[in-house]
Amino acid sequence: MEQKTKLHEKIFLGLIMLFFYLPIIYVVIFSFNSSKSLSTFTGFSLQWYEKMFANRTIMESIWYTVSCAVIATVVSTIVGTVTAIGLSKSSKALREAINQVNNLPMLNPDIVTAIGFMLFFTSLRIKTSFTTMVLAHIAFCIPYVILSVMPKLRTLDPNLAEAALDLGCTPLQALWKVIIPQIMPGIISGALVAFSMSFDDFVISLFTTGPGVNNISIYVYANVKRVNPTINALSAIIVYVVTIVLILVNVIPMIRERKLKKNEN
Amino acid sequence: MKSFSKMVYPYVVWAAVMIVVPMLMIVLYACTVKGNSVLTFQFTFDNFIRFFSDPVFPGVLWRSLKLAVITTLICIAVGYPTAYVMAKLKPNSQAVAVLLITLPMWINMLVRTYAWRGILSYIGMSGEAKVYVGMIYNFLPFMILQIYTSLSKIDPNLITAAHDLGANNTETFKRVILPLSLSGVVSGITLVFLPAVSSFFIPKLLGGGQYVLIGNLIEDYFISTGDWNFGSAISLIMALIILVSMYVTRKIDRYTAQEEDD
Amino acid sequence: MKKLIEVKNVVKTFDSQVVLKGISLDIYENEFVTLLGPSGCGKTTLLRIIAGFLDPTEGHVIMDGEDIARIPAYKRDVNTVFQHYALFPHLDVYDNIAFGLKIKKQPKDIIDQKVMRMISLVGLEGFEHRDVTSMSGGQQQRVAIARALVNEPRVLLLDESLSALDKNLRKEMQLELKEIQREVGITFIFVTHDQEEALTMSDKIVIMKDGEIEQIGTPAQVYNEPANEYCARFIGDSNIIDGIMKKDRLVSFDDADYECVDYGFEENEEVDIMIRPEDVDIVPRNRGLLNGEVKSVLFKGVHYEVMVETSSGTSKTVTMHVTKSRDVENAEAHEKISASSFYMDLEDVESLTDSEVIARANAQAWDDKDEFVSLTKVAYSLKPEVGTYPCTFGTDAGTEITVNINVVKPQVIKDESNEEVIQAFDFYKTAEEIKESVALDTDLIRWADAYAWSTEDESRVEIWDVKYDFDDENISEGDYPVTFSTQGREIKVETTDAIEEGQRIGLKWNPEDIHVMRKSR
Repeated sequence: MEQKTKLHEKIFLGLIMLFFYLPIIYVVIFSFNSSKSLSTFTGFSLQWYEKMFANRTIMESIWYTVSCAVIATVVSTIVGTVTAIGLSKSSKALREAINQVNNLPMLNPDIVTAIGFMLFFTSLRIKTSFTTMVLAHIAFCIPYVILSVMPKLRTLDPNLAEAALDLGCTPLQALWKVIIPQIMPGIISGALVAFSMSFDDFVISLFTTGPGVNNISIYVYANVKRVNPTINALSAIIVYVVTIVLILVNVIPMIRERKLKKNEN
Repeated sequence: MKSFSKMVYPYVVWAAVMIVVPMLMIVLYACTVKGNSVLTFQFTFDNFIRFFSDPVFPGVLWRSLKLAVITTLICIAVGYPTAYVMAKLKPNSQAVAVLLITLPMWINMLVRTYAWRGILSYIGMSGEAKVYVGMIYNFLPFMILQIYTSLSKIDPNLITAAHDLGANNTETFKRVILPLSLSGVVSGITLVFLPAVSSFFIPKLLGGGQYVLIGNLIEDYFISTGDWNFGSAISLIMALIILVSMYVTRKIDRYTAQEEDD
Repeated sequence: MKKLIEVKNVVKTFDSQVVLKGISLDIYENEFVTLLGPSGCGKTTLLRIIAGFLDPTEGHVIMDGEDIARIPAYKRDVNTVFQHYALFPHLDVYDNIAFGLKIKKQPKDIIDQKVMRMISLVGLEGFEHRDVTSMSGGQQQRVAIARALVNEPRVLLLDESLSALDKNLRKEMQLELKEIQREVGITFIFVTHDQEEALTMSDKIVIMKDGEIEQIGTPAQVYNEPANEYCARFIGDSNIIDGIMKKDRLVSFDDADYECVDYGFEENEEVDIMIRPEDVDIVPRNRGLLNGEVKSVLFKGVHYEVMVETSSGTSKTVTMHVTKSRDVENAEAHEKISASSFYMDLEDVESLTDSEVIARANAQAWDDKDEFVSLTKVAYSLKPEVGTYPCTFGTDAGTEITVNINVVKPQVIKDESNEEVIQAFDFYKTAEEIKESVALDTDLIRWADAYAWSTEDESRVEIWDVKYDFDDENISEGDYPVTFSTQGREIKVETTDAIEEGQRIGLKWNPEDIHVMRKSR
């Protein structure tokens, strides 16, 4: 596909990028605005950041979001990986059945999945709370983990596990010493997807959370009616964190590679 | 190694309880009316009849579908050229472009949508147009990335071969590149149309509350009105419509793929 | 030698598909055994059962008098070198080799000693901490061998281990493997589909086919005295001829008797006769056992591979009528049209279609810009009886041409001794068409509708030879004979003497060069 790009094509691509980054730039700039206005920049100030850090509800919502995402990621990564390994050795019928069931939360609109959870919890007389929200997050994250681990297992040389057995490993040792290290990239990407799904989730959280337990999305949703630049500060902080993390994730391997090359030379 | 297959069993139980049962609950609620408990369960189509006999609800459904279809079409119209230009870049620039498009997706959807509020009201856009901008903003990256993936998988030798066989750039695009990238467009449609139909916070955040879509209806019946039976029926209708349209899209994809084989 | 492994009546089925049909095989200590066969013959399945990766459906695998068929792989005194080596990509060379010893929790200094000894045995000194994925195929192979041998197994299993290497490296590794086996003094069981590899390395070759053992023997035995046609074809080059055993030490084929050294067959039993190409000598005509004509000579480096036809195939001669160009011009419409008369089989009349008529008549129309114009009119009326019928082709603009369709009785020649039938028809062509032909032999076969089949099972027989003596570059109008024939008896001969195609020669061999085999089932 690689060809020369013409100038107008480059401009077009640039405009698309501008479209994607415009709101992000806007939020960052206006988070430093000295007034409440959302349209005119009156001067530089850190007051919205101060207000944000002083706001207990916001701080709590960050705490709920992060802890929910961490728990959901850890649990769904472990369960998803274990299940994927099991599935790779299961009958085709079971594999198909699980795939179909996993498709339900992935292909259904979030809101359908969300009300399903809500009806389920209330029918069992379980009061919605932080716990029910975490359970729901785990439930919709596991299919994504399975989805990202399965291809790694499929392309895994079946002889590798056999070689481990041949060299004296018990099946469990073979799993731990050979299979897991081989599918690690899949597990990590599964965990990343699970974390971001959980961290960004709004719809499912809204329907499964209990009174007083808000994550960031719910907080933003509940507070948009009023003009509230603290949300700009909150958004800007998310932008900083995501940017730093993504840069690190993308740059660290590059640096490591360069170092390896240096060592080899 | 066969013994590893036992590792699936816990998840089988979990999936049955946490995925299948909730879905069945929706069907159960949709087919009963308020006041029914599991003991006095009485099967009824009342909720569905109510939905279609009141002109308001089908109107909302129609508006949601129209919005989703238009959003999807715009995403294809803008996303395809974007992906095409990206696929023509040098490998390094391609990686950077993909990263640039992925990066905003990691930032909370609500936060990004919220940011548009300020910009759009500053420009002075109308309610409906704002909703469209929000929709396209949120879903365009999915379309671009899907089409880009299918384009970048095309073996460059195929394009060389087409030129060798006498096709010019336009013909090569029409007869080789476009058919081979159609699968990306189809998966892009899945990723855009589906959440666009059910979206409810984008119209709420940007439409200013007057712009009601099917997702907002469901939210209202669950959170404000508390009529879960009717809410379930609405979501069931929506899920079915989405299911059918996805099925049709895939059929079309397979049909065109076969036609290309001949 | 002591018996080490005894495979007894092993049957293996996968979902009702029988892959091994009751294999019994004894393997001795310090032996290099090769399981040889094409893919799908069950050789790898047998190896995997011995390794413990598969359970036999029936039967026993006995090692040192103990049935190990149900003992898991990790408890067996057997190690494997896998087809694609299955090196652990996350471990370096040293850690790959040390893997088994670490699992057995051996002391660190012992591990170090053993690993370093293996590294020097396979010649990988200095590569200890290399990344295995960046190594060449040959190096990976050595790591795989070292990783298996370091555990000091009683048996080393090698699954198509050399197949991923290029030819020269493979030859080198064959010798090296044999060397390693001698040095460590354990049993090697080697699986391959490469007969040359099997002959070079093995003490014992087991030839397998469809889940059964066809022959077990030393390389010399399986080469010189193959058990049946299958083994003879699989190992080395051979001429295999259907024959009849007249009596002890006398065999006959193609209406002549030949002496041999085989006996113990029934009188007039149908047999397969094998003659190795290197055992046949070329002698002057009438000085040998039979005469023939050299059909082709291929240079193979050390020798020439010569195909000699000793009896002809089934043939049929037809007449090619070369005619003037018959283009009809329609000046008004600026169009031209052309077509040829053709012969056709009475039996084909019923199923004839318009497009077939156009193709057979080679009818085409074109305008003055040389663009093709489509034929919209195809008019003919055929009766299913012998005769000549007019046929008219035309375009929309009214350009027309009329040719003849000659319906004739089937033109077949049956050759009883070859059990073949051949058919071909006379045909009309213009000199231009012949000159323009890119692949004349193929076109002649198509134009004459030449076709041959076996009377035994109606299967199609290839038209092997097309003979004509016109010069296709300078052909003029007239009638020319064209002969189509099938392949006759051809004998492959390997010789170091230069021989020319078309030469008429004699062939000779010694009675002990003929090997007679029972027909398999």
